[in-house]
Order: sequence, then C-alpha cells, then structure tokens
Amino acid sequence: MVLEALEREGVEYIFGYPGGANLPIYQHLPEHPKLKHILVRHEQGAAHMADGYARACGKPGVVFATSGPGALNLVTGLCTAYMDSVPMIAITGQVNSTQVGRDAFQESDVIGATSSVTKHSYLVTKIDQLPRVIHEAFHIATTGRPGPVLIDICKDVQQADAERVTPERLQIPGYKLNGHVDLGHARQAARALAEAERPVILAGHGVLLSHAEAQLQELAEAAASPVGTTLLGIGAFPVKHPLSLHMTGFMGTGWNLKAVQDADLLMMVGMRVDDRVTARLAGFAPKVKTFIHIDIDGSEMGKNVRPHIELVADAKQALEAMLPHIDHLDAGRSTWLNQIDAWREEHPLRYKHSNGRLQPQDVLIEMYRRAHSRAIVVADVGQNQIWAALWWNYDRPGLFINSGGSGTMGFALPAALGAKFARPELPVWCVAGEGGFVMTAQELSVAVEHQLDVKIVLLNNFSLGMVRQFQDDFYGGVRSQVDLTHMPDFVKLAEAYGLPALRVEKFEDIAPAFDAAERTKGPFLIDFRIDPEANVYPIVPLGKSLNEFWEAPENA
Amino acid sequence: MPETAPPSGSARHLPMNGEDKTVVLSVVVEDGPNTLTKVTGVIRRRGFHVLSITVGPSHEPGRSRLILQIDHGHAEADQVRKQLERLVEVVEIEDLTGHDLHSRELVVAKVAPAALEGLLERGAKVLMSGKDTTTIEFSGEAADVGDFVDELARHGIVDVVRSGPVVMRRTA
Repeated sequence: MVLEALEREGVEYIFGYPGGANLPIYQHLPEHPKLKHILVRHEQGAAHMADGYARACGKPGVVFATSGPGALNLVTGLCTAYMDSVPMIAITGQVNSTQVGRDAFQESDVIGATSSVTKHSYLVTKIDQLPRVIHEAFHIATTGRPGPVLIDICKDVQQADAERVTPERLQIPGYKLNGHVDLGHARQAARALAEAERPVILAGHGVLLSHAEAQLQELAEAAASPVGTTLLGIGAFPVKHPLSLHMTGFMGTGWNLKAVQDADLLMMVGMRVDDRVTARLAGFAPKVKTFIHIDIDGSEMGKNVRPHIELVADAKQALEAMLPHIDHLDAGRSTWLNQIDAWREEHPLRYKHSNGRLQPQDVLIEMYRRAHSRAIVVADVGQNQIWAALWWNYDRPGLFINSGGSGTMGFALPAALGAKFARPELPVWCVAGEGGFVMTAQELSVAVEHQLDVKIVLLNNFSLGMVRQFQDDFYGGVRSQVDLTHMPDFVKLAEAYGLPALRVEKFEDIAPAFDAAERTKGPFLIDFRIDPEANVYPIVPLGKSLNEFWEAPENA
Repeated sequence: MPETAPPSGSARHLPMNGEDKTVVLSVVVEDGPNTLTKVTGVIRRRGFHVLSITVGPSHEPGRSRLILQIDHGHAEADQVRKQLERLVEVVEIEDLTGHDLHSRELVVAKVAPAALEGLLERGAKVLMSGKDTTTIEFSGEAADVGDFVDELARHGIVDVVRSGPVVMRRTA
C-alpha cells in the first residue's frame, strides 16, 4: 500500500535502509521496479541524499528508515532539510501498534523526537488512514514553505490487507496557504523602493524555491537597485551582474555589508533574516527607514526584524505585483551605484598567495574556470562552504547546494550523490573539509556502487578550520581540540572504497589533478592539502555589527 | 507548569490592557494523539512560556478548544499566534489579548467547618458535606478566584484544585 501510494505521487528514487520494523515494505519493493531504491550506508546519509536530490530537482526527496535507531539517525538530516525549507518525505517503520508504549525492541518515540524538525508528522496505526496520510504528506511537504514531513507507520499496518483505495480529496483545514498578494502593500512597497535614495534588495532561498529569479532581476534593473543574496539565496541573482552585491551576512563581501549598513531601504525577499545575516541585530542596517519583507511564511514577519511593509506571499507573485509600479530609474541612482562601485574597488575579495602553501581559493578558482555555470557545487559546512560560496561566480539558480540554516557537517558527500541522481546530466562537485567529510564518508560506497560521476574536492587543512579560525580570532588564540592530523590517508581510503584519487600539495598540480578527475568517468577524489592557516574573509567578529567586518590582510 | 512565578501572585489576572507580556489565545485544534505535545512543543521551542492552559471539547466533533495564557518572552507578542498557526493541527486561533473578556475559573476545595460560613458568603456552593470537611466549589473571574483561594489559605486549606480560565469575548 505504501509503495503504490509513492508510485501514485510520482516518486522515482527512495533513499533508505531496511530493518525489523519496515520489513513488510521492503518485502514488496521488488514488485515495484519503477521505484529505484538506493541502499545507503547510514540513515543520516539517506536523509542528506534525499535533501540533495530535492534541492537539485525540486521534487521531494523520499527516505525510508526502520524504527528506533534507524529513525533517530534521520534526525540531523530532517533538521537540515527543515531549517532550509527542503521538501522531504521520511517514512519510518514503527513497532506494532499493539506494542507501542511498551518499550518494545527498537521502539522509540519518533514523532516526539522529530516534531520540532519536521513541518508535519503522522503516526499511522490503522490501515485506512494510510492513503490519505501519504497524499497529505506530499501536499504539505511541497506546498507553501516546503519542508520535511515524517510518516511513522506501525509494522502491523504495513502488512495489513486493504482494498486499494485512492485517497479522497485533501481535507486539511488547519493547513492554510497564503494564496494572494496584498496588492495595496505591493504598490506601497514598489513606491517605497522607487523613492528610496539608497535601496538594497536581499534575496534568500525563497526566491529560488519560487523560481522568481527573472522577476527579481527585472525589478532590480527597473528600480536600479543593487541586489545581494543570502548564503542559501546564491544563484538568485547573477554574481557578475553590475547590480550584484554578492553574498551578505557575517561572512559576506565588504561591498555588500557597506551597502546594507548605509541603505535607507532594505527589501528582504524569501529569507528569514537570521543572525548570520544581521550579525548584531541592534546594529543591523541602522540607516534603513523602510524595511520591506516578502516571505510566504507569515511568522517570519517581525520574528527578527519588524518590517514597515510586509508581503506574506510567494516571492514570484509578490515581485510580479510590484513590477507594474516601478519605472526605470537608472539616472536617479547613479550616486548610490557609484558609491557601491567604489566600495567594490575598496573591499575586493582577496586572499594570501605568497607563502608557498596551497590556497583553497586557487583550487576553487581553477574549478570555476573549468566548470563555469555548468556544474552543481555541493559544499559541506565550515570554511570550505564559505570559500565555495564566495569564490565561484554563480549566475544561475540551483547550482550551489549547502546546509545553510542547520550547518550540518557531513552534508556534502551524501547531498552531492543525491544531486547527481536528480540531475545526471550535470557535473556535480562535492567540496568538503576533511572534518565533515569523514562524518559521512561511508556513503562513498553508494557513489562507487552506482558509479556516480561526482568529483570530490577535499580541502584538507588537517584541522577544524572554521573552529580554529574562531579560536584564533575570538577566543584568545587558544587552539583547543581542532587538530586533525590523525586522519586516514584519503587517497588510500578512496581506493579502499574503490574509487580513484589523487593528492595535491602544490599550486602547479591543481590543474593536472582536475584534468585527471574530468577524464575519469565515475567518482573521483582529490585530496588538496591546503594551507592550514588559510582563513575566511571578510568576517564580522562575533557580537559585532556588519560594518565592523575584518578583511584579509592586504599585503599577505 | 510555569518555571518562574506568574506575574501577579496567586491571582493570575488576565491582562485587559496588554500591559504585561501575556497573550491570551483561543485555539481550535484537530483532536489527535500528538496535538497537545505539538502545541506545547512550539511554545517551549520558541522561548514562550505557558501561564495557564485549559482544554475541552469544542462544539465541533473531532476538535478541541484550548485557552492559552502565554508569556511571549523576548519575541513579539504576535509570534505566539503565528508560530501556532504553522501547526497543521491548529484549525483556528483567536487572539483575545487586550479584549474585553468573560473569563471564568473554577475552584473545588475541601474546607474545615470553621471556614465554611465565610466562603459560602462569597458565593461558594456545597458539593458534599462530610464529618470533618465540606467540599465546595466556586467560580468567577481570575481575580475573584485568587481572592477566594487566599481566603481559603487563611483558614488552612485541606485540599484545593483550581482550573485555568475559560474565556470568551464580551460582546452583546
């Protein structure tokens, strides 16, 4: 019954792991060849794979896990998807309904453990609930602000006989979608944007989820307003566009932060305005007279920043409603745009490359030179993530995938594999530090088993780089528990899993290593032994305002 | 239930003028095994704080009504409603904060004979008379119930239970 329902919902891939409490589902899996099941090596890997799959193609990722430890291993992956509004369906086995609450073998309160990291969840104890629940779950996961939905199905329900029922029409009275744009507010927002002297638009993940990139660009050009993106909004606006401010937030570009802090109007589209965007909240965008906030989730209004004009709506519809009220304004904005150009000159992205060590930025620049806008980059969490965000000129949506809200180390490898299942036609690059990589490295088996053409770029600095940088800069220079010299030989590790690999220690070897990776079909790993002292810049010191950012030393 | 003392001693006055950080919500939810956990989970996770909670069946089958008094902590007052609205189990929320309200609470108490007369004068009704104690009930606005409980305390309470408020907007 579960598998038929999934076929009905158009599911192609399931990322999962069998166990005692979902055996009845797995028993019937071979009867459904249309459902391709990917056997992961750890349930967390399944959740991240489904997440990467969903982010790469927009369809919900589907995960199977058994009860108890199997389901609990999903929690980090569910949280990752929840924080970043990724549609996902997790189907977990639960002990027999008659055993629930008796501390049965591998029983755990999965609903209790996951309700704070799911958009919604169901415990199914009766077979007649199942068709409705699965249909509802897909609807809820994929509509409005997307998110993971968990369905915990008791084992006796999985093996119950039932007539095949198609689900009745959806009846979820408590699930309300924000359908229409308030046209009055849209006009008001457009007028404020047009009348502002120093406007800045910030675009978040919501712009990508709503496919509003074209409308955003049209509006920005018509209003001659610069546009920055959040980390998750990367790709919503071309980095090379003259109006681009690149990434915002406490590791954003200098010219972006200068602009945000000097703006008199800030329009925030499809974003949560979290602490990584605002840095010290009281010092955020201090000159702004008008905050405009567009988000499909009404609870975002005033959660962190109280907007003067709010549009609780889908980003595309909201921007479309604003467009007719904007006239082309190029002339009036030249002072502001010239100022931003000056900041761009004054505060360029830079890094040190004179100490003879391999610099991570050189690796990324070479990658970008080869792949351009034809590859998906999946980054892990930490310095590697910010380098991959800043040193790659994303000019199209959907090419940069990373765990922004949750910041889950170990995300990149499984998510990259999921992305490759979703978009087999595109090259997929996994960028990770060695710390995060080993957290889910067991999924290399999946890459080899399915000969997934995913290239793994390990930025190996023998330490937990971001933590080390924070300790150096903000915690008295005490390096505590960040040393990772005792790690596997990654070339041998790759070989043990059955994929080719190379080690690179010198600048001259970067290009030949990429040549080798690109010549090889299937997975490939390059262990770049980078400068252990390489840092992420700009960075706003913890507790400071955005304009207090530090830059890379100029003459290093 | 509250981890810290409620704002106004034993008598938890409903805020009629929004002066404190309390919001009052009337919430209709779908009945289900997880509904109450999810509602309280959201309240806890967002840093809000339950001051009182009253649950009973609504007039619609399969749905219950919760009356919540919540301290919204450092968040904007409106966040409580907005965060609860995100729950699929929540069908309808009415924000009663600052409105003119009918608010009734119920007290059932066991009292010693010596205390009985004064309490009956306040409007208590006898539920059961025993040899050593009498069981009485009293209902009223939170402030009156608070005063009633204070009076009970002066006479030495044998046993007392007190409900949360049941609230309705005061309209003609």
